[in-house]
Amino acid sequence: MLNLRDAVVFTGSMAAIAALAAVPRVLPAISPMTVALALLLVVLGAATLSRLGIAIVVSIVAMLVLNFFFLPPVGTFTIADPENWVALFAFLIVAVIASKLSDVAQERTREAVSRRNEVTRLFDLSRDVLLTTETAGGLEALARHISRRFELARVAVCLPADHGWDINQGGEIPVVVAEADLEKALASTRGVLEFDAHARAYGGHVTVPSPTGDSVSLIPLRHGIKTIGVLAAVAPGVDLGTLDAVAGVAAIAIERVQFLREREAAEIVRQKADLASTLLASLSHDLRTPLTAIRVAVENLRQESMPVDARREQVRAALTEVDRLKRLFQDILDMARIDAHGIVADRQWVTPAEIVDAATAHVRHALEGRTVRVDAPSDAEVQVDPRLTSAALAHLLENAAQYSPSGQPIGVTATAGAGGLEVSVTDYGPGLDPGELDHLFERFYRGRMARQSSFGTGMGLAITRGLLAAAGGRVWAENAPGAGARFTIRIPGATRAAAMVE
Amino acid sequence: MPVRILVVDDEPNILATLAPLLRSRGYEVSTAMTGRGAVEAVERENPDLMVLDLGLPDMDGVEVTRLVRDGRTTPIVVLSARGAEGDKVRALDAGADDYVTKPFGTEELLARVRVALRRTESAPPQTGPIVRGGLVIDRERFRVIRDGEEVRLTPKEFELLTFFAQHPGRVLTHRAILKAIWGPHAVDQPEHLRVLIGSLRKKIEPDPSNPRYILTEPWVGYRFADAASEKPD
Repeated sequence: MLNLRDAVVFTGSMAAIAALAAVPRVLPAISPMTVALALLLVVLGAATLSRLGIAIVVSIVAMLVLNFFFLPPVGTFTIADPENWVALFAFLIVAVIASKLSDVAQERTREAVSRRNEVTRLFDLSRDVLLTTETAGGLEALARHISRRFELARVAVCLPADHGWDINQGGEIPVVVAEADLEKALASTRGVLEFDAHARAYGGHVTVPSPTGDSVSLIPLRHGIKTIGVLAAVAPGVDLGTLDAVAGVAAIAIERVQFLREREAAEIVRQKADLASTLLASLSHDLRTPLTAIRVAVENLRQESMPVDARREQVRAALTEVDRLKRLFQDILDMARIDAHGIVADRQWVTPAEIVDAATAHVRHALEGRTVRVDAPSDAEVQVDPRLTSAALAHLLENAAQYSPSGQPIGVTATAGAGGLEVSVTDYGPGLDPGELDHLFERFYRGRMARQSSFGTGMGLAITRGLLAAAGGRVWAENAPGAGARFTIRIPGATRAAAMVE
Repeated sequence: MPVRILVVDDEPNILATLAPLLRSRGYEVSTAMTGRGAVEAVERENPDLMVLDLGLPDMDGVEVTRLVRDGRTTPIVVLSARGAEGDKVRALDAGADDYVTKPFGTEELLARVRVALRRTESAPPQTGPIVRGGLVIDRERFRVIRDGEEVRLTPKEFELLTFFAQHPGRVLTHRAILKAIWGPHAVDQPEHLRVLIGSLRKKIEPDPSNPRYILTEPWVGYRFADAASEKPD
């Protein structure tokens, strides 16, 4: 099989030999030895640049040319002087040796190139792996990276799980391998660590037939001397050493994913602890203060000497604080239900006006002495959970009352449109600081004004967000031009014209 | 002339219940809802006692204590709602006399108020023997007599007992005691104090495991029994 390179070398050599054969016509006095050395160079060149077969053919042609044109008797293929046989064999031997050397050199080059490719791919794979920071789906991503970088259509990262195996497919075609084979491959490598220098691979490789008829290579995934899983691949063209190196990178990547998962879990635990301590500090204050007022008020009431209007004042104080406790408990319960994902939306057809009415009724105590300007249609219906929606809206109304000077009006605008239900609450207070926007909906965040007053638990907006999330909706805040802060909630849902009540 | 008390709390309903309570016991009451307001009221009215909530909107209660203490001896009873011992201790270190933790009962608060008021009314004389129950502390002769019998104390024990007896009824934080007896460098070595209290109690208390004179304020410090807070036998 001739390739282009061989053809070029062969043609070139023939041309050089033909040119040398023509030399005596230009230089009749040239010595046969000079020509022989020149021909030898051609043979050497052909052997170095091409394959052994070509080199031998070139050396034979060169020998024949030398014999025919230069060695006496010239013009025949007869050899008179036995010394000339030596020259002829020298041609052949040079051809063979040079060709062999060249073959070895070329083989080395090919190997080096393939190593370089392997290293490049491994490097790319390592980079893929290191750039992956998500832990969810991290193992599938790893398998996909291996498949992509090493052009393996069938490859899977298999890890022993609590029950059976966790198999993460990376290629377009799933690798089918029996769990028993995986078990066996894993068991055979435990406690064994041999290195085969020739194959550049550690022991423990197994090749098993898959039900689909391919032979699947099972390569142990080692981290240190611990085997943590098996890399399964249908990879006929990839050598063992490469697969082993891939398995090495994969093992590091798996450890990394596991480490990231652990860190995430620790972070969640820490956040929960932070939240718990904030909750405790907040509750400690928010519970103890009303309890103190109630207790002192009740003890005061026991004193018969206290004047009637002072006693009335004690009753009022106690009842206000009981109310406050009631709201606090409601907030805590809502928060707990949101945390426990215990809120399920129950959609019904309602008018936006009904939602707004229910919400304002719920927080009447907070809206005392204020005008609430409502613009909500009662001729359209939207399919939302009325209880969740009005509860979320109630928190926004309470928030608006808390963060704007008493006596200022509050605007409520509701619409039912293609996007579902949208309700905005606008206050006429100082508005929001841009820096606040990121924290508004965090639990226990309290705005500047609330931090200076005794109202509010810092849970209202977090509850609003939690309730809306359960209902599939969202809430956002902005500053309204010409007014204060504006909070808008939107819940997707079907809309229709309200049925006319006769 | 009635005793005047300034009540400082940012919760309107705490003021609305505490003020009538104190008035019904014959005190004259004024109120403030901020730290700044409290400091101004102290300057203006020079009350006989201040009841101070630690969680004020504009200023830390500890800071208010420090400002008031800077030049005045007005007794301060701190209302602590945070549950955290740290704030309480810091307020006491800053010069507050006593504390009650919310939610408290009226009698508890009234008792603390009475003790704190008595401290200024009848501070023990600077010289001469201090008599407390069956205990006589003769500061000139460095002698302590318990129920007619002399008790031998080491100099440090004597110093500690004298320090206690000079502040009857008042909560003394570990820090304050360490500083008074060993000096400022010793304030972080509460084990010294624990050992000394133990040996002192063994010598002066009729029943050291159920002390009558040196009472423990858990996590905060100690209190030398005042005639009013003394446990009945």
